Amino acid sequence: MIIVLKALISSLFAGLLQLDNVQAGQFLISRPALVGPALGWLNGCPAEGAKIGLLTELIYLDFIPVGGVVPPCGLVAAAVGVLGFAFGGLPESTAFFFGILAGFLYANLEYRLRVLRSSWISGIEAQAKDGTLRLERRLAGSLLIESAMTGFYIFIFSWLLALVSGFGFCAGFGALFRASDLAYSLMPWLGLSGLYFRFSTQVYKK
Amino acid sequence: MSIELNKDQVNDPGLATSRLPLTAVFFRSFLIQAGWNYERLQNLGFAFAITPALRRIYASNKAFNAAVLRHLGLFNTQPYMVGFVLGNIIKMEEDLARAPGNAEFEKKLIGVKQALSSGFASIGDRVFWGRLKPITTQLCIAVWFLAGFYGWLFTGDGYRPSALVLFGGPLAGIAVYGFFAVYLRWIGLKKGYACGGIANCGLDAMRWPELIRRLSVTGFVFSLSIVLGAFGLLIAHNLPGESKGSLAMKLTLVLCVMALQRVTRKFGRSIFFAMGIIVAVSVAVFTVFNPGKFNIYL
Repeated sequence: MIIVLKALISSLFAGLLQLDNVQAGQFLISRPALVGPALGWLNGCPAEGAKIGLLTELIYLDFIPVGGVVPPCGLVAAAVGVLGFAFGGLPESTAFFFGILAGFLYANLEYRLRVLRSSWISGIEAQAKDGTLRLERRLAGSLLIESAMTGFYIFIFSWLLALVSGFGFCAGFGALFRASDLAYSLMPWLGLSGLYFRFSTQVYKK
Repeated sequence: MSIELNKDQVNDPGLATSRLPLTAVFFRSFLIQAGWNYERLQNLGFAFAITPALRRIYASNKAFNAAVLRHLGLFNTQPYMVGFVLGNIIKMEEDLARAPGNAEFEKKLIGVKQALSSGFASIGDRVFWGRLKPITTQLCIAVWFLAGFYGWLFTGDGYRPSALVLFGGPLAGIAVYGFFAVYLRWIGLKKGYACGGIANCGLDAMRWPELIRRLSVTGFVFSLSIVLGAFGLLIAHNLPGESKGSLAMKLTLVLCVMALQRVTRKFGRSIFFAMGIIVAVSVAVFTVFNPGKFNIYL
């Protein structure tokens, strides 16, 4: 029961931090390298959380949120990864890859939320014309919806991972878990090389 | 240009320079991306941020509503650079309030707003997303590296560092990044207001090309140091207990991953492509050959 409560609190906390990711502040407190150890600390596995968080950040640095691009969400990836390990009971490596998948799929939800807000514009303009516009209420609604949806998404995904974990151990997925261990141990090098090539391209660009 | 003052619409434009409206605009600018939508992008955030200044500039509700409506149009820039645009547009709104009904000036205001938003978006993307953000990740790695936490490199490492180390890494990067982000917002607002009305206003506030180049070089030096340090650690961790053949295999595996990343980038594919190949090969190795527990590091 306590572990479920911890997962719920972690999801809500991650939903709150998600606001920093796009809508409010953008101080980077939603960065996976911080979210990982924070949620790990909440769930009793800070070192594993830190590893999942930093590796997620290294991988997701490849995506830049310019213009209307909706990149995969690093915060969701780190949160699902940590909860997949702490709550779902998956091996750290497998939880990490499921987290990456969750962050990738979350971009679709984010896209739909942005489309939803587009439908508000005509109403907002009408209110601005007749002087009844309360923009702060609209923005508060936008923040609340995003935060709640993110928290809900992370919590549901964590439950799914708990089911996958139970099924995986029953069905003897040991080889797959070991395979993910090997792939996971190579992720730091993939991330570091991405970082290196990014800056070397910038420096040597004519 | 002579400007005719219309006392019905102007509520002491000079007041907009006083501390209250600009400070309120500054704090509201942190919500510039709130309500981001595909139809008008950051329009809701921009209208929200500029509202305190518009309230001070326009006394009549009609003029105020028209001004808010004007800023509900399409707008998009790099969020940390929005101060430059806001300051400039506040100044232009003051000028517009002195000459109400000047359609040409209103058109110019919209044009300047769009021009500045594009210019600063380009600079901001390069400074923040392209350079500063990855540098904060490098800072985090550097702190963990120096504090002796290598779990991020050797994923099987069971060492449990203190909370100070775990949180110190990411927070160090956040402090540096946050300083730049807040400083540029505030300075942008001030400088934008000071030179308001000019299409390239604030673009010369800093030597951007030089800053961008320096950040690139800093990032590159950091990257190179981290990669070399990681190779050093890999060798140091494996030399005592491993045979030369085993160490050579591990180094080869790492070099293969780096080469894969290089090729993936060259062909314009995302890092997920390289990750997919690594996962697929790992699964194939373990399902076909089933080599037992095989953890290449530690």
